[in-house]
Amino acid sequence: MQRNRPPSAQAIRILRAMAADPARWRYGYDLATEVHLKSGSLYPILVRLADRGLLETSWEPGVGSRPPRHLYRLTSAGREFAAASTVARVDRTVPHPRSRWSEA
Amino acid sequence: MLLPILMVCLLGSGIAMFRRSPQAFLDGPSEDLPTRLLRWGVGLLSAERAEWGQAMLGELDYIDGRLRRLRFTLDCVIAALLLPPWGRAAAGVWTMIAIAVGSVGLYASVAIRYGLGVGDWVQAAILVVILNGYLLATSALLRRPGIAIPGLLGGLFVILTWLTVYGFTFYGVIGTIPTMWDRLVTVIAVPLLVGAAGALCSRDAAAGRRVARLAAISAGLGLYLYGTLAVAVLGAGGPPEDTGWTVRYIVSDRLGNRLVDLLMTTLVTATVGWAGAAATAWLRGGSPTPTRPGPFISTANPGTGEDV
Repeated sequence: MQRNRPPSAQAIRILRAMAADPARWRYGYDLATEVHLKSGSLYPILVRLADRGLLETSWEPGVGSRPPRHLYRLTSAGREFAAASTVARVDRTVPHPRSRWSEA
Repeated sequence: MLLPILMVCLLGSGIAMFRRSPQAFLDGPSEDLPTRLLRWGVGLLSAERAEWGQAMLGELDYIDGRLRRLRFTLDCVIAALLLPPWGRAAAGVWTMIAIAVGSVGLYASVAIRYGLGVGDWVQAAILVVILNGYLLATSALLRRPGIAIPGLLGGLFVILTWLTVYGFTFYGVIGTIPTMWDRLVTVIAVPLLVGAAGALCSRDAAAGRRVARLAAISAGLGLYLYGTLAVAVLGAGGPPEDTGWTVRYIVSDRLGNRLVDLLMTTLVTATVGWAGAAATAWLRGGSPTPTRPGPFISTANPGTGEDV
């Protein structure tokens, strides 16, 4: 059974980076470099996102003797999830005015 | 005794590498280290994750710089080792982790209880490194299909044989000097049998050798835990009578012997088991040459369906 745990901070970084230009297909290494993640963290996150239908994958045919390259892009569900996660995160990190007033 | 066994094991490893690929042995590898390492790593992925292995391999080809490639590869190999689904292999790995952690914990408790010196703590650090290597090898072997159950059963069989020689006592582990007959059974006959059974069960020489390796590692770990437990329980007591030595020296010596036993049991069982698996496959008339690593890796271009 697929567990839908809340995304980690690293997963949100990836989602945000991909949501910045959602139509663009990304390479794994470029994405890892952009969000400053090791490939050992990146691929398990990409696998989880793809399993949850938030990410679509494709193959770019190899040129000459080079192997094909895997490409990644957010699905429409992924874009909505990225937007919702970003809002939820901002909501958690910014202190709520009421709580400050209550502390006063 | 130690040096001839090591020489035989080194010779055996050399023959194994030559048999695996005579051309590559003579000419050297055609791919660089990161590619070979990653090819091995993605071979550990389950069938449903094979595409992700191809993705990692494809990406590596576009990364320049030896250091960058190596870092990318090491990260991906760790990811491949940990990436679920694990299935039944997870239970085996957790058991091995429990044995390894238990052994280190026992070692540390003995070292603290008897106030052992710096040398023994250095030895503990070496032990941790060795055990990490064992766990890495175990997790890789357990993820191969059809290896876990025969490998672990083989390891249990090796452990039971040794414990029979020790008389199932802690005193036996510390004080028994095996006879020639005992050595013949534990060092030669049983590992040969495990390797042969592995090759027969899996109907494949390569799988048989993996079964032998897993049996060797699990037996080494199990016997090490038992031996360390014996030292923890007996301390400096029990036979043989080591008069003239301090308690601390005797305990330290016994712990050191357990570490040597760990390495030797694993090395000898793996080598002899490997020989048993290879000989069985050869006698059955099957090809002793293993298939290339990565049974799950498709060589087809996922985009076009053509071979790459």
